[in-house]
Amino acid sequence: MNDLELFPYPKHRLQATDLDLAASLKGLVEKQIMDKRLELKEDYEQLLKPSLGKLMVEIGLQRMFWPEKLGGEEHNEPGAAYTVVAALEQVGRADIGLAFQAAHSLALQAALALEANYMEQQCAAISPLFCEGTQPLIVSFILPAFAEEEGVPEWRGKGLQVKARRSGDTWELNGAKVRPTCSGADADLFGVWCAVEGENEPAFILVPGDVPGLTRGEEFLKTGLAASRNADLGFASVKVPASACAWRGDEGLYRLLSWYYLGLAAAASGALLATYEIIKEWGDNRVIKGRGQIFKENPLTGALMGEIAKDIAVVRLLAYNLAEILAEPGAYGDAGSLAVFTSALIIVHQAYVAAENTIHHTMELMASAGYAKEWQLERYWRDVKTVQCYLGAYELAKHDFARWFYGTKTL
Amino acid sequence: MRTIDDFTRPLEYISPMCDLLGSIFREWTEKEVIPYRRRFDEDYLEHHLIHPPFKKLLGEYGIQRMLFPEDLGGWGLGTSNYLYVAAYCMFEEIARADSGMAMAFGVVFWPLLFISLEPHVNRRLLEEFAPMFCGTNEVTFAALCMTEPQGGSDIENVEIVKGTTIQTTAVQDGDEWVINGHKLWPTNTGGLARLMAVVCTTNPGSDDPRDIAVIYVKDDMPGVTQGPPYDKAGMAADMNGDVWYENVRVPLWYRAIGPGDDAKYFGEIMSTGNMGIIAWISGTMMNIYERVSEYVNRKKYRGKPLKENDAVAGLLADFATHIEAIRIIGYQCARMCDRHDLYGPLWDPGLVAKMRAQRYFTVDRFIDITGRVMNLMEAYGADRDWDVEKHWRDVKMLQMVEGSKQLCQIEVARWFYEAETY
Repeated sequence: MNDLELFPYPKHRLQATDLDLAASLKGLVEKQIMDKRLELKEDYEQLLKPSLGKLMVEIGLQRMFWPEKLGGEEHNEPGAAYTVVAALEQVGRADIGLAFQAAHSLALQAALALEANYMEQQCAAISPLFCEGTQPLIVSFILPAFAEEEGVPEWRGKGLQVKARRSGDTWELNGAKVRPTCSGADADLFGVWCAVEGENEPAFILVPGDVPGLTRGEEFLKTGLAASRNADLGFASVKVPASACAWRGDEGLYRLLSWYYLGLAAAASGALLATYEIIKEWGDNRVIKGRGQIFKENPLTGALMGEIAKDIAVVRLLAYNLAEILAEPGAYGDAGSLAVFTSALIIVHQAYVAAENTIHHTMELMASAGYAKEWQLERYWRDVKTVQCYLGAYELAKHDFARWFYGTKTL
Repeated sequence: MRTIDDFTRPLEYISPMCDLLGSIFREWTEKEVIPYRRRFDEDYLEHHLIHPPFKKLLGEYGIQRMLFPEDLGGWGLGTSNYLYVAAYCMFEEIARADSGMAMAFGVVFWPLLFISLEPHVNRRLLEEFAPMFCGTNEVTFAALCMTEPQGGSDIENVEIVKGTTIQTTAVQDGDEWVINGHKLWPTNTGGLARLMAVVCTTNPGSDDPRDIAVIYVKDDMPGVTQGPPYDKAGMAADMNGDVWYENVRVPLWYRAIGPGDDAKYFGEIMSTGNMGIIAWISGTMMNIYERVSEYVNRKKYRGKPLKENDAVAGLLADFATHIEAIRIIGYQCARMCDRHDLYGPLWDPGLVAKMRAQRYFTVDRFIDITGRVMNLMEAYGADRDWDVEKHWRDVKMLQMVEGSKQLCQIEVARWFYEAETY
């Protein structure tokens, strides 16, 4: 049995094409990324950028949802949620940052091109960027943040980083020190959740990376996610056509985020599968206490290894359970509903809390090998923590949970 | 405005000298370390940025003389009963800027403890090494070389493993030891160490504590090779590498204390090392407090500073509470190290176990609460410009130095429950 098959997932729910894709990706990432990372470490130009190209263009993740008539694969039914998990789990197993990037692209595709909510005009305008290019199209979001500097409009208790003003057939966007979710230094397309001047309802506006008035700060250093070279942005009277507004209102954003969190949960599951492989090798081969005792046979370390496996299994089930929720809108509601969004938010936070703790425990067992870059574990640890930070403040996300489960009105 | 100096310290046993040292170290960190530390990670290989502040502190200020007797040019702290509380103050201040630097600083003195503390002062070796530390304005790094490829923290587990796994050998040949072996991970290696205390066996496979030998080796002796520094998740100022000893010849009197006593006093090394780790954690938490305070004052939530939100307040209170508790625990450990007359000798297995317990408790608490604080800071929690993520990475590594968490648990259970088989 493949080691990764040890951890249960709803295999019967996946199409043969999903399983084939996962198998192809497993081979690809092992050859393209895992076999090279000891030498290339986290080099963006030599390792991560070419790998992103392979995944998004050659494998075709950036064409997945778009209709065939627009050059896509038209895999845009709700069941694509299983495909997302099967694919990004394998990518996350090799590099969470790459899965993080892909999750952005797939979430935007889902938000615009899912068959039940198909946005014809936006898809026609945007899909060529994804389907016709030979380079990966890097997507980034500018989402509301809990804590902001002075003078930022509020939405659901969070601050909106960019303000938009409609003038005829043009949107004008303004914002300073804007922090995107990823790739501020490189992104080709930003999806911006904007406050709209004089109106209560925000707008989700698509902004090409090369539009005049959009400035990028210097790439900043961060804990992990080397595949995402992030930088703060400035929007100084950035003008885009009226058609760049993909949607108004919460439903579209919730749909985007539900699918985004699905991708991130899959990345966490993949990272933990990699963690399993690393600690398994350690546990099988390490001898301790000078008595020839194999590491995994020691009652204390063996028990902690068992706990690690338990947590990996639970995170994988959670990720697939979110896929089930998104794949069955008839049973659970639309991805754009507050109910599904809240479930997705809970699952992604839980996945990353568990992933952080699980990798912490694994590092403890491996001691110095846990934090030596040579053993590769520490990169997952840094990446998981970085994604968790980008999810937003957990203390305040709990208010979102309370809002749904207890009908809280004022938080 | 509240500052880190508002956190509690046990004033009844902190001497004026501690405050003086603390102020010197704080000024040094503010001028020499904090402005540069965000680039330390990329400096792990060469220490272009990291070395100059060390040179100033250890060499030019002369702190590296601390343990040596005054008549040898030192400060005589080795035989004082306030060494560890003073060390705690210094460690905390350095770690506030960079815990990797604090660890490298501490390890300069660590191997010298074998020869500079009562009741096992080795005057001849102090005289031998004093010029390296007291007769120069250049920094002299020292290392304690324990870990080996095959055994990880087995060597630290002296009480049970009894040195049976040590593969670095010291063979007597006339009036010299001939040392052969391979060590991994000692702090201050990777090319830095000028003096190393090497844990060897004089009889491979033996469980007789008299066969465990701690022998000093200078880096310029024929047969000593230091490999390049490892690339790690953090703690760039703590340079580690492989060290190989190939037929290295040293005088017989370079053995630290003698048969039986080298192993016996190894416990002292464990106790003081664990005390140091708590001090470093405490120092990093002081800086995280400073940075988070700035964040929650500057950032707004619903028109008010973030700190004014009740949910955020709960987490901020937890963090401050952890600092209070960890600092008190740390100072208590330092006091226990200083006052043998009250708490027993540092090499006593009970004291070793208690230090292990307090160290792993504090690291666990740090990791949990700091991880939560990073989350509160959203994307800025992972941003190097806010410094918290650096401390988070560094302290995770402190959990695993000097034996893994599981080794700590085993030693604690063994002593408190009088277990015999592990």
